[in-house]
Order: sequence, then structure tokens, then C-alpha cells
Amino acid sequence: MPMRNSVHRARTALEQRPLAAAVGGVAAFLLVLWATPASWQTSTLRFAVPIALAAIGGIFAEKSGVINIGIEGLLIVSAFSAIVVVNRLGDGGATAGLPNLWWGMLIGVLVSVLFALLFAIVCLEFEADQIIAGLAVWLISLGLAPFASRILFDSPNTANITRFENVTVPVLSEIPFVGYLLFDTEPQVYLMLAGAVAGWYLLSRTTFGRWVVASGENPKALDTAGVDVRKVRYAAVLLSGVFAGLGGAGFGLGTLGTFAGTGDTVINGRGFIAIATYLLANYHPIGALLGSFLFAGLNSMQNGLQAAGYAIPTELIRTLPHMTVIVVLVFVGRTRLPDAAGDHYESGED
Amino acid sequence: MSEPESGTTDGTGPTAAVETNTADLNGTNSDLAVHLDGITKRFPGVVANDDVDLRVERGTVHALLGENGAGKTTLMNVLYGLYRPDEGRVVIDGEERAFDSPRDAIDAGIGMIHQHFMLVDPMTVAENIALGNEPTKWFGMAVDRDRIDREIRDLCDRYGFEVDPDATVEDVSVGVQQRVEILKALFRGADVLILDEPTAVLTPQEVEGLYDVLEELTDQGKTIIFITHKLEEATHAADAITVLRDGVSVGTVDPDRTDREALAERMVGREVILEADSDPVETGDTVLSTRDVTVEDDRGVEVVSGIDLDVRAGEILGIAGVDGNGQAELIEAITGLRIPDEGTIDYAGDDITAWSRRRRIENGMAYIPEDRQKRGLVMPFDLVENGVLGSQRSGRFASGGRIDWPGVRDHAEEIIETYDVRPPDANAAAQSFSGGNQQKFIVGREFERDPSLVVATHPTRGVDIGSTEFIHDRLLELRREGVAVLLVSSNLDEIQSLSDRLAVMYEGEFIDVTEPDAVTEEELGLRMAGQRPAGEADGQPNPGESR
Repeated sequence: MPMRNSVHRARTALEQRPLAAAVGGVAAFLLVLWATPASWQTSTLRFAVPIALAAIGGIFAEKSGVINIGIEGLLIVSAFSAIVVVNRLGDGGATAGLPNLWWGMLIGVLVSVLFALLFAIVCLEFEADQIIAGLAVWLISLGLAPFASRILFDSPNTANITRFENVTVPVLSEIPFVGYLLFDTEPQVYLMLAGAVAGWYLLSRTTFGRWVVASGENPKALDTAGVDVRKVRYAAVLLSGVFAGLGGAGFGLGTLGTFAGTGDTVINGRGFIAIATYLLANYHPIGALLGSFLFAGLNSMQNGLQAAGYAIPTELIRTLPHMTVIVVLVFVGRTRLPDAAGDHYESGED
Repeated sequence: MSEPESGTTDGTGPTAAVETNTADLNGTNSDLAVHLDGITKRFPGVVANDDVDLRVERGTVHALLGENGAGKTTLMNVLYGLYRPDEGRVVIDGEERAFDSPRDAIDAGIGMIHQHFMLVDPMTVAENIALGNEPTKWFGMAVDRDRIDREIRDLCDRYGFEVDPDATVEDVSVGVQQRVEILKALFRGADVLILDEPTAVLTPQEVEGLYDVLEELTDQGKTIIFITHKLEEATHAADAITVLRDGVSVGTVDPDRTDREALAERMVGREVILEADSDPVETGDTVLSTRDVTVEDDRGVEVVSGIDLDVRAGEILGIAGVDGNGQAELIEAITGLRIPDEGTIDYAGDDITAWSRRRRIENGMAYIPEDRQKRGLVMPFDLVENGVLGSQRSGRFASGGRIDWPGVRDHAEEIIETYDVRPPDANAAAQSFSGGNQQKFIVGREFERDPSLVVATHPTRGVDIGSTEFIHDRLLELRREGVAVLLVSSNLDEIQSLSDRLAVMYEGEFIDVTEPDAVTEEELGLRMAGQRPAGEADGQPNPGESR
């Protein structure tokens, strides 16, 4: 086993390292919190939704060995389809027992899962290169959403819908300092917080989570242990579709209220920032949540400064997450890719 | 060659189970844990197993002996449910079974420990042992880690293992990893354990430890099937040996009533000279010398610490040691694949420390890499293309950027013929050849460069006896012709019988440099585990000065 322990192998155990990233994220978050006006803080959380949820989805896919860089595309299609559904069903009402906004969430997630399924089939059945297939998912979404918008709304931008309203949790929202932020907010933020905890639990505490990790590190070991690697990878990629769908639909219905289809669409690279975020967090869902606060915070800081008359170019802010990842990868160098990430696995090959 | 224990006709069977072996090996009424009856397995163009019978008695160690490609692994894959036999029956505990997948075999109480461990390195020992069979709590909502720990502790107590369930697999030694694999099978309730070449990666001490484990397991009623191509191991550890040759069973023998020569002949089908003949040869000038070479690995950890060595023309310097003690990095520094952080490397009078790989090849350095499939061959290329690798710019095969393909083809065919590469088809892709034949081709290519220095790492790893004998002969022939040879191997028989001088490497340093005959295999094993020879408590011996 000549190369077994070389190259990417950090010696530290799986669980230890993300903590460092998490602590850094918390520190950064508290710093932002302390330094910013309350309106920035609220908008940070709302802008973190697509980044955090897409990142958690990406973690599951990549941990299982399938690098899903198509999560940008999943955010686009889920945000768009959720808004379309709400627009068609009517803004305020309820259809068949469910408020229309939640129908929008459901359909948005389903569309995202459908795209994830196509991606999974192309990668797992036809052994396509995962990066190329992921790019295809993004590019197709990038074209398809504005195209559909043109047909439906005669413009690359959709009509406006009425967004999710604040839900205040009694008692908890009275907690000083964080209560008003975390417990007096919109449904998509609650979803994000719950999703991060659920993602962490699923990955680290359940049988499925252990299989996902084994599938990405040494699929043959999992296979010989009698677990179907293909099924695990399908489940993980579909799960990335669920998380990204929640992120995209929640962002569209809660934060935006409209889908702008020009340029890189209103998603505007948040899926790629999500990838940067989970690499920074070394695949830890909670770390990814905190990392998304950092990048969303930069975003709302830029918006806030712009409103106050200090123009910082958006383009510069958008490069920051990726610059940060490069700096972290080069100088900290501790993000450890799963050993079999990106490799096709065929059972029975020697 | 000192070989104190193995290979005698009167045998020193290690286990108490020898008595159980007195039952008639061909009898039909004894208590068979596994009975493979007339197994035939065909692959396109090959019959891998041809009407093979195997009877394994409960509570015994049964060796399956044969050369590479003899069909041992195929047969076990049939038993483990990876392949379905074309003909024949699989009978477990007297009951005929048909396995569709390893899952079925596991359920029938069969466990397999693969040659390359099936472990997930960054996960813990406990997680690996339970993988795929995790007990759960809270209605399946969580892995029951306490129960896993408890069951592992019970198994360890019962079989006398010492394993820390919370350790990360990549942090434990290879010997412990093997225990983890065995525990994994036991955790799944295996009664029959198949071990595929279990000693390939172990030190001699770890091998002894493994034999003890096997004895403990059979004492408790488990049955072991042990795949090997090493005669010593079969005669040493097994209660019965079934020999396979070219997919056919050539009989089951009692190790106490046979000897190594007879077994070898049965295995290969002709007489085999087991000991390489290495008469001393007059040595010439120093061809390769390193001074104070220090190398860091990819993680920036110092893995080679100030190595001094000299190799003269007409001599073989052997470097023994457990894999991962810096041999690979030292060899990479010498062959130009890695730049040493300190120290100098001289080759035929030139300081080559900073020379490119290409320049080293052009100056007559041949290299048989450790990982033949990653570094020795381009697997999808055919042998014609592989035969010119490394010489693609030499005037012999190329001029003005064009390669002389007819010449290259002749060269490849010459190698194929001289080195007996089978099948003799230069147009076949390298990946279609067996490991042994790939190795013969690489050896041929490197030796035909007309080298003045051969750096050979594990030249016979995974190669069958016949080819091993051939490669050894060629190495000794080169040495007689005055070529300097630097040989790295973890196979003690090989390194002791071929080397003129022998260095033992441990944690980046030479623990000892001796004449190979001056130490026993046990002493070598201890040094490989880091124990310095008495009276040499400190300081590194220099193989350049030991003469």
C-alpha cells in the first residue's frame, strides 16, 4: 500500500479539526454581530440561508464521494420554481389545506431533487465526470430559469410575491442579545438553523451518516461490508438536492420575493460560495452554518455601506469567500478531501 | 540463508490442532465446515477454476497454496459470494448454499480478510468493525456506540486481542489493522475466516502474532482458510494444505508429511531451486553514495534522517525494513523523484543531488518502482509504448522528436521473449497482464537499459515463485557484470539471500548494517522493529564504512 498515507492525508481524526473552523466562525460571527447595526444582523441571517443550506447539501454529496458543484444550479431552479408556484397559486391564500408559500417550498425542493437525481444518474450510471456534470447542471439552470421566466412573465425577472412573514417564538425571543435574532425571524431562517443541526446529527450520529463517510473514503470497504455504495451515493446526492432546494426556495420566498434572471441570476454565485464555505468548515455542517454567517455578513455589510453612501464594489465582495478559501487551503492546509471524492466506484472491479 | 524453523519434513507444526489433522484428508464423513465440490469458474478466454474440490474441516487452519494466477483468489471469491460458479456446489456445514452476494456469505458465517485491508482510514476502529452492521437505538435514529464498544470488548477478551476501539485506523500499525479486519469478521458472526495473503504486509514478529491469533481462533472452534503463495507459511501454520496450479487442484497434503521442495514442485509443476545462489563477486568503484541525506514527506515530516550509504560496482546493498520507515522517500531522493532537504547524492563521481530524473536515466540509472501500476507502467498503454517509457528521447529509439516505432516494437518483443512475459502480445494493454507479468516486463525494460546502477524496490512483491526465481537470477547476473544494485525489500528471505551487505531502516535511520549471514531472521525482525544491536546503542552505522 505504497501511497496510502501520503499527499492529502492529515493525521488528525475526523472530528477534531472542524472544531477549529467552527470556533473561528463563531468568533467571526460575534465580531460581525458586535460591530454591526441590528438591521445588518437580520439581513446577514437571511442572506445566509441559501449559502448554509446548499453547503450542508454539498457536504453530504461530497462526503459520499460525489462532488456536486451543481448546487448553484439547484439554488437557481428551486428559487425560481418556488416563486412561480406561489405566483400561480395566488399570493396570500391557501390551496388544499396548505398555505401557498409552503406549496412553493415543497415544489421548489422537488424540482431541486429532480435536478439532483438527473445529476446522480449521469454520474453514477453513466460514469460522467462529476465536475463536468455539475457544471452542466449549473449552466442548464442558468439558461432554463430565465427562459421559463420569459415564457411565463415575458421578462427574465418574475413578478413579486408576498414573502414569508416573521414568526416570533414566545419566551425564547426574549433572550437578551440573540433572542430577537434567532427566535423572532422568518421561517427560512428557522429552517436553516434546524437544517444545520439535523445535518450534523445525520452525518455524525446515524448509520446512514457513517455509510456516507465510508462511501467517500473507501467505497470498497463499504461494499465488502455488504452495503450498496450506489444506493448510499444516490441517497446522499438526493439529500444534497433537498438541502439546496430548501435553501433556494427559502431564499426566494423569504428573503427575495422575486426572481431576477439577468446575468448570473439573483443567486449570483451563492452556490459556489457554499462550496467554499463547506471546504472552509472541513465538511462540518455546524461549521458550514457559521461560515455562511461570515460570508453573508460581508454581503449585508456591503449592502449597508452602499446604502450609507460608501460604495464597495459587489465584485470585490464576491471574490472574498473564494480568496478566503484559497488562503485557508494554502496556509492552514487542513481541509481534507474524502479519499475517493470524484472517483467512480463500480462494485466487483478488482 | 538462515531459516531456523520452516520447511523441514518432520515439521514443527505450531498449533495443538495437529492431532485433529490425523483424520483422512480425503474422507467424506469428517466434520466439514466448508466443502467446495467440483467448482468450475470460467472467464472469457480463461478457466480460472477447473473442477476444484476443497474440503475444510471445522476448527482447522487450511492453507490454499499456489502461484499468482493459480485461481486461489477466484475460488475464495466463489466461496465469499463475489462470483457465482459455473459448475459445482458450495456446501457450508453440510448444507448446500448459493450465494448471490457477500451479504449472503456473511449471513452464512463466512468472513473474508482481504489482502488490502477494507478499512476506512479516518474512521475509528469501532466504526470500522461495525460498518454495515451497526446496532442502532432510538428506533434506528442513532448508532448504538456503547453496544459496539461492549461487543468489541467481549470479542477482544475472548480471543486475547488488544485493540483500542476509539483509535483512528490510520494511526494504528498494520498488524493492528489486520486484527481490526479479523474483529470485523467476528463481529458479523463469522465461523469461517478466509485470509488472503495475510502476511504480505507484516513484520516477522507480527506474523508470529498472527499465528498465535489463528491458533486461538481454531481453539475456539473457528475455521481458517489461508491463501498464500509462500511455502513457509503454509507448512508452518496450516493443518492441511491444498495446492492449486493453473486453476486445477493438484491435491491436499498434510504439512507434516511433505517437504518444501516437494510442495514447490507440486505448485510450479517443475523442480525449483529455492535458494538464490550468490557467490561473492569482486567489487569495483563506488557507484552510488549518499551523505547525510534528509528527506521530508508530503506532510513536511522528516522521514529520512541523515542517511549515508555507498554501493559499489558488483555488489548488492539491501535495505530491509517495515514499509513506511522512510525507504520509499530515500529511494525517491536517489532516483530523482523527490529532492532531499539536506545532504548530497553522488553517482559515478558526479554530484547528482539536483539532477532531473531524465538526466539520471540517461546516465544509466535503472529503477524498478515499488508501485508498478502507478509508477512503472501506463496501464492503458500497450507494451510497445510501455517498453520505451524513460527511453523515449534516447538516440536509440528517437531522432528529431520522432519515435522509431518499428524499433520500439522490436525492443518490446525482445523484452517479452527474454523475460518470458505472458501472454506474449506486445499489442495488449499493460492492465490486461497479471501482476507478475507486468513486473517481468518492467524488470526487462529497466535491465535492458544497460544500467550501471539498478535501484529495485520490492522487485518480487506479488510475483509468483517461478518469476521470482527468474528476477533474482537476473539481478545476480547484473551484479556479476559489475552493476551496482540497491535493493529494498520487506521480504527477509529475499533480502538475506541476495544482499552482499544489509542495512535495516527504522524511522528514517539505519539501525544496523551487517553481512546478511551474520544475523538470524529473528534478529533482523527485532531490528526492523527498532531494536538496535547490542553494543551499538547510539550513532548510525554507515554501510560505506562497515567493510
